[in-house]
Amino acid sequence: MKGSAGGILFVVAALLVVGVALPLVFWVTGSPFIARLGQLVLLTVVLTIALNLLTGTAGLLALDSVVFLGFGAYTGAILSTRFGTSFPVELLVAVAGTAVIAFLLGLLLVRLHSVFFAVATVGLAVSFYTTVLNWGDLTRGAMGIPAIPPVRIAGYELDGWLATYMLAALMALVAVFVGHRMTHSFYGNAARAIREDEDAARSMGLTPRFIKAQIYAVHGALMAMAGVLYAHVNSFVGPDNFLLLESALILTAIVIGGLGSLPGAVLGAVLVVLAPEMLRQFGDLRAIIFGVILFLAILFLPRGLLSEVRSLAWVRRLDPASPWARRKRRS
Amino acid sequence: MIDHFILGQLAIGVSVGMTYAVIAIGLTLIFRVLSAVNFAHGDVYTIGAFATLIGATTLALPLWAIVPLVLAVGGLSGWTVERLAFRPVRRFTDEASLRSRAVREATLLSSLALGIVVREALDQVYKGEWLVIPASHQLTQPVNLGGVIVSTGEIAIAGSSILLLIGLQYLLHRTRIGIAIRAVSSNLLGAQFSGIDINRVIVAVFIVASILGAAAGMVVSLTYGSVQSFMGLTMIVKGFVVMVVGGLTSIPGAVVAGLLVGVAEAAAGIFVPSAWTEMVGYGLLLMTLLFMPRGLFGRRQA
Repeated sequence: MKGSAGGILFVVAALLVVGVALPLVFWVTGSPFIARLGQLVLLTVVLTIALNLLTGTAGLLALDSVVFLGFGAYTGAILSTRFGTSFPVELLVAVAGTAVIAFLLGLLLVRLHSVFFAVATVGLAVSFYTTVLNWGDLTRGAMGIPAIPPVRIAGYELDGWLATYMLAALMALVAVFVGHRMTHSFYGNAARAIREDEDAARSMGLTPRFIKAQIYAVHGALMAMAGVLYAHVNSFVGPDNFLLLESALILTAIVIGGLGSLPGAVLGAVLVVLAPEMLRQFGDLRAIIFGVILFLAILFLPRGLLSEVRSLAWVRRLDPASPWARRKRRS
Repeated sequence: MIDHFILGQLAIGVSVGMTYAVIAIGLTLIFRVLSAVNFAHGDVYTIGAFATLIGATTLALPLWAIVPLVLAVGGLSGWTVERLAFRPVRRFTDEASLRSRAVREATLLSSLALGIVVREALDQVYKGEWLVIPASHQLTQPVNLGGVIVSTGEIAIAGSSILLLIGLQYLLHRTRIGIAIRAVSSNLLGAQFSGIDINRVIVAVFIVASILGAAAGMVVSLTYGSVQSFMGLTMIVKGFVVMVVGGLTSIPGAVVAGLLVGVAEAAAGIFVPSAWTEMVGYGLLLMTLLFMPRGLFGRRQA
């Protein structure tokens, strides 16, 4: 988007809405619940963008999002409750540690194709759950880790809703930037080429395993980043926060939004978080209605609300250097 | 002299492993035809268990009458799953689109969604509690096999699984529809050219697979005496593991892998706290995928 007036305008508008208009709305309504909801949406945006890189752009269907989210959350929780570390330290440890672990795991996992990969990630997710549940010395098992202190940066405790909302917004911004650079670029083209035909991509000089492992590592690191903040704003982490169903929920979000489409991932996150809240009046039937909505979305919107092709075309039109750019008509 | 306790554990492992195998074969049958995974299969298993419960309590049927009821319910739910989650996504019947990635991922998610709806609906109706099968129907009497104590249910699981497998082999090799199923699995286009109605075969596969799943749910619920709406979730994950370890498309592979995982879990249960035995199956899965990426008995690349 760099260098195009339309692109800059769009970025500024989005920043104003998320950074100024929404906090104002929260302040006017004065309801901490709505602010928390906004926070949750922004954290989910990080998760969907991360999974969208892996599943949409690189084409690896994964159900292990909770593992990396959990790595981040437990790192944040354990470090802050036991050692009283500050937020940047936790973030650094969680993101760097998870990136390394995810890269190594990725090198192993990306050898597997389609269904094999999906099943291996299911195994990973359940193994993570079992480990967290049973490694009582580290994670306190089923009791979880309660009373996680609020975010602490340079000695200041940020416990107001506005500060954590802004932190979440900052994380979402980082995720959008990383997602944008990795999707709408040469790198993204390479990932899509590998997704469509690995042999052809290899013949063009790409290294599928390495690129896939890189994307797996970046997706893990982004999720861990969201996980650290999640632990602090939730002030509790337990194994039940990291059930397989949560991974399926994130996957649902990007499918509804459109696999491989960055705006779709953002839209999917918004819908997946807000829809259950709007359905709150139905009380206990919420989960069922949500399942039905998911089902209908897959049936009638197989490419998602904002499909990959459309979002790529849109981004490329904004880029004046691209052959897809919208030119002024020659007179 | 081998400890009787260890032998008893291994017997439990065999019966659990047979259940895994039956679930995995249901998934395998569908995968062979559509190259797709049926995520609602675990909920068919749950429905089988609930049909047993309703048959035993509300309808107060004797045990022999519950069996055909559960099989019928299983077949019906298989038909429903196909109609709701798989057929609408399948817009063309040529091989390229039937087995395309888009269709595979869409059916994975639509069956997942259907499974969520069923699970949550049962959870609503029965409040998520563990429901107990009447003692008169439970298969929990101890049986002494040369010093090894097992329950009648474990024998019933092993016996019924073997019966189901024999029945499946008969169906696949001796009946018209079974031969059609095998034809479609091995060469979809060729089967179409021979005048086989693909849609009918797919429905038949779903019905057969779901009868297997529901039967497993019935026997397990009778053996352990309780039923819960989320019981299918752990089962389907284990079913996947077994299916992949066995090589995705192979029925004997699923049986061997099922027994392997079941016995390995039971054997691990002797040495480590039982909570950790969950990991054994996944360890086996990872080992298989890394060292034998096509599974123990896999031939085709998926």
